[in-house]
Amino acid sequence: MLARAAGSSLAAHTGDFLHGILVTLEISSVGFLLALIAGTLLAIFRVSPLLPLRGFGTAYVEVFRNTPLLVLLLLMFFGLPEVGVTFGLLSSAILGLGFYEAAFVCEAVRSGINTVPPGQVEAARAIGLRHWQVLLEVVLPQALRAVVQPLGNLAIAAVLNSSLAAAIGNTDITGTANHVFADVVEPIPIYVGAGLTYLALSLVIGQLTGVLERRLVIVR
Amino acid sequence: MTVTSTATRYRRFAAIGIAGALLTGGATACSSGGSSGGSPQPAGSGGVSPVQKVLDNAPVASAADMPAGSVAAQIKARGTLDVGGTDTSPLFSFKDPTTGTYSGFDALLGEMLAKYITGKPAVQHTQVTVATRETLLENHTVDVVIATYTITPKRAKLVSFAGPYFDDGQAILVRKNQTGIDKPQDLDGKTVVTETDSTAAADIKKFAPTAKVLLLDTNDECLQALEQRRADAYVLDQSIVGGDALQNPGKVKVVGSTFTVEPYGIGVPKDEPAFKAFVDNWLRKIYADGEWTALWKATIGAAIGGTPPTPPTIGSVSGS
Repeated sequence: MLARAAGSSLAAHTGDFLHGILVTLEISSVGFLLALIAGTLLAIFRVSPLLPLRGFGTAYVEVFRNTPLLVLLLLMFFGLPEVGVTFGLLSSAILGLGFYEAAFVCEAVRSGINTVPPGQVEAARAIGLRHWQVLLEVVLPQALRAVVQPLGNLAIAAVLNSSLAAAIGNTDITGTANHVFADVVEPIPIYVGAGLTYLALSLVIGQLTGVLERRLVIVR
Repeated sequence: MTVTSTATRYRRFAAIGIAGALLTGGATACSSGGSSGGSPQPAGSGGVSPVQKVLDNAPVASAADMPAGSVAAQIKARGTLDVGGTDTSPLFSFKDPTTGTYSGFDALLGEMLAKYITGKPAVQHTQVTVATRETLLENHTVDVVIATYTITPKRAKLVSFAGPYFDDGQAILVRKNQTGIDKPQDLDGKTVVTETDSTAAADIKKFAPTAKVLLLDTNDECLQALEQRRADAYVLDQSIVGGDALQNPGKVKVVGSTFTVEPYGIGVPKDEPAFKAFVDNWLRKIYADGEWTALWKATIGAAIGGTPPTPPTIGSVSGS
């Protein structure tokens, strides 16, 4: 909730900005988690021996990767209610971001899958593992560990892209900046502040990704 | 095909249109109403439309008013006036998507000012949003901003305002079947949509402290959100929500009367005080010779009827 206009100074809006940061974190973290799950599933589809699954995976990636996120969000927010499906502000943003990033996660994970030598799959089959066992116990663990850095980049992209959620009325960092700007007409400190907050969040994620990669890297 | 399915299909396109409009910086004309009902330009009896008549009668400045080196003289030398405006407000500035011509009070006012300076209504339009108006004036991308631009002391710190040239006020737009909202106090606890960085965003909180404010970028999106029940009410200047109600009579209505005073001014760069005085003098001139009233009749009056108001007094508002 926004603080009263009383004071009308930037300091009066500190609480709003903190709330905005929480909303940004919520949209980007839940959205990215959704993207991780959906994207991994799509990657599995794309390397599946079944043509319909491969076709679906490819079509999904091409559609969602090549559609601007803003268009996706506006379609989710204004388009879906016309066919009787209405999501709230926050869910629209999370779903839109999640489905969008899933296409990118899919391609990252697929490239990870390609780093696993075919010999390993053949060996796993030879000792009698089923297709899903090969996937879950041999291929995916290695594939995901190979793409920690690209996934970290996508996590940063999720935080930065979540700023578009303001266009459908969310009070994330950008949305809060718009609200505060309506009260205090000082664009430079407000939007530079918002930009620096995104920078700080991205730097933290970048550092975390580095730590994760050093722990998980597979030395071949 | 039934009426309902046609309407649904159209509105689906409208949503896509909104997405497209945002992508192109809002430059694509896409009105939620889709009809041209809000841009009335009926042909006059003599074959000359009232709008054309207003332009024909508009005054032209004498050379003495524009000393060499003045901003006005520079604009005259350039031949066109750079006006920052909008193109989706039916009553004030609306760009016809098929012909590309502008209609409405603000759009014509810009052409009249262009004629006053250059001798012909030659306007170079630049699309502005509520968030970019001050910046476009500060960096001299446009000469003036005429865009239902409310004069406020905060904005007046960044830009100068000539005028006021029109007095508007915030009004409440609700869905046709809505009951229980008649005045701003009724908005307490409700979700209220308005445009990002409009003066309404702050005003709503003053009248209804517990209202939940939803900010969207354009009039089309706000209207769509109201129709889709994402908000209980849409608060913005009467000239704008009144235009919406005019274009969507079966869906939305304006309730109560205006509850704030929104004096519109012509935005001028802060560092051009002589040009601001020049524009003020021009406004005084068209107030005195009845041209302002003729303009009102040809645009707003033709759409909503009634008797023309008295033009506001120049410099009567803090910040102008």
